[in-house]
Amino acid sequence: MTTHHHRPESEIALRVKAIESLLVEKGIVDPAALDTIIEHYEHQVGPHVGAQIVAKAWVDPDFKRRLLADGTGAIAELGLTGFSSEHMIVVENTATVHNLIVCTLCSCYPWAILGLPPTWYKSLAYRSRAVIEPRSVLAEFGLVLPDTVEVRVWDSNADLRYLVLPERPDGTDGLSEEALAALVTRNAMIGTAKVQPPSAPTPIAA
Amino acid sequence: MNGPHDLGGMQGLGAIPIEENEPVFHSEWEAKVFAMSFATFSTFFPVDETRHAAERIPAGEYLSASYYERWLAALELLLTEHGWLTPAEIEDRITHLRQTES
Amino acid sequence: MTIETSNQCMTAAAAKALLQQGLSCQVNSDLPPQFQVGDLVQAKVVHPATYTRLPRYVRGKVGTVMQDHGVYVFPDTVGQRLATKPQHVYSVRFSAQALWGQAAPASDALYLDLFDDHLEVP
Repeated sequence: MTTHHHRPESEIALRVKAIESLLVEKGIVDPAALDTIIEHYEHQVGPHVGAQIVAKAWVDPDFKRRLLADGTGAIAELGLTGFSSEHMIVVENTATVHNLIVCTLCSCYPWAILGLPPTWYKSLAYRSRAVIEPRSVLAEFGLVLPDTVEVRVWDSNADLRYLVLPERPDGTDGLSEEALAALVTRNAMIGTAKVQPPSAPTPIAA
Repeated sequence: MNGPHDLGGMQGLGAIPIEENEPVFHSEWEAKVFAMSFATFSTFFPVDETRHAAERIPAGEYLSASYYERWLAALELLLTEHGWLTPAEIEDRITHLRQTES
Repeated sequence: MTIETSNQCMTAAAAKALLQQGLSCQVNSDLPPQFQVGDLVQAKVVHPATYTRLPRYVRGKVGTVMQDHGVYVFPDTVGQRLATKPQHVYSVRFSAQALWGQAAPASDALYLDLFDDHLEVP
């Protein structure tokens, strides 16, 4: 990981502790609220939420149609909306179109659907390069796309948040929705990976 | 503003730093900075004001800071600009904590 | 400054509600759009020293309106606590070549969400 701390970690930690103690004393932040917020992002939301949406779209054509037409509404049907996912656009990867999500100005990301973004998504390298050379960025993730595939890069510069609906891999016909969701990775829902078929034979759910 | 945050198309920022199996937060201070910022979203500062605060970090610092260092700088900037904390209060509390912890 | 905040400490319950319900930026409004789906639009050449969600790399470039997302508060003014200034936001498609020149793949494209105030007739 590349981080370039000016100050040693211990100095930053002390500074944060000082600010926290002052804000608590002044009644600006409530320690119980801080715990709630941290617990939510560490344990409640994450890529498993998005994976659930993707798997449902793969098995339910009507839901998929609604999801692509009105991402916000379809995700609300499942009760999965939340902070930083209030206005959702879902874009579909196909054999001829590959979508990639970025936020060049900060690091906007659908927090309620994918959790907080990974370091690479927040990196200056990704934010700067995804728009000007998406194909070489994808190659760094091991994804080389042929020239026949159109690459669409979505810069989340306003209040809309984006989710990629990846292609359902071959060899998954008999899988349950739950088993399908387990195949869907965070990177596939940002557009820096494809969903891989199950590596080992998976028992068909009863 | 034409600040360091407006990165689209900039070159020379290197390879994508891909980290396998990374935690949501890399340290307790990152989690606290995030949570304190979140707890003041909309109640004390409109979210876009916090984004703008990060953009106002001096360019050299912005480009060399980590993600949550930028959040910390933005939070401190807004808290002090709006008069909720003074820079002296923060420094005094740091000194105090250092003394009591050593 | 015209946008005031409550300056009330967020309780754990309020945090939970915010996490689950979010903050809508959409505005119920019959404000007419300035552009229609299919229109060619040009991102303005402007260099405000203040907050803007119009990235430099699209300024002056021509794209096509693909979708009208509806009316949203305008972050460029909200970020300065000036006004909510609701207006239409559009998904605008720019070809990669329009942004980066002939060396970019002819098929590739970028999509940005741009507000009425960011756009003009080319």
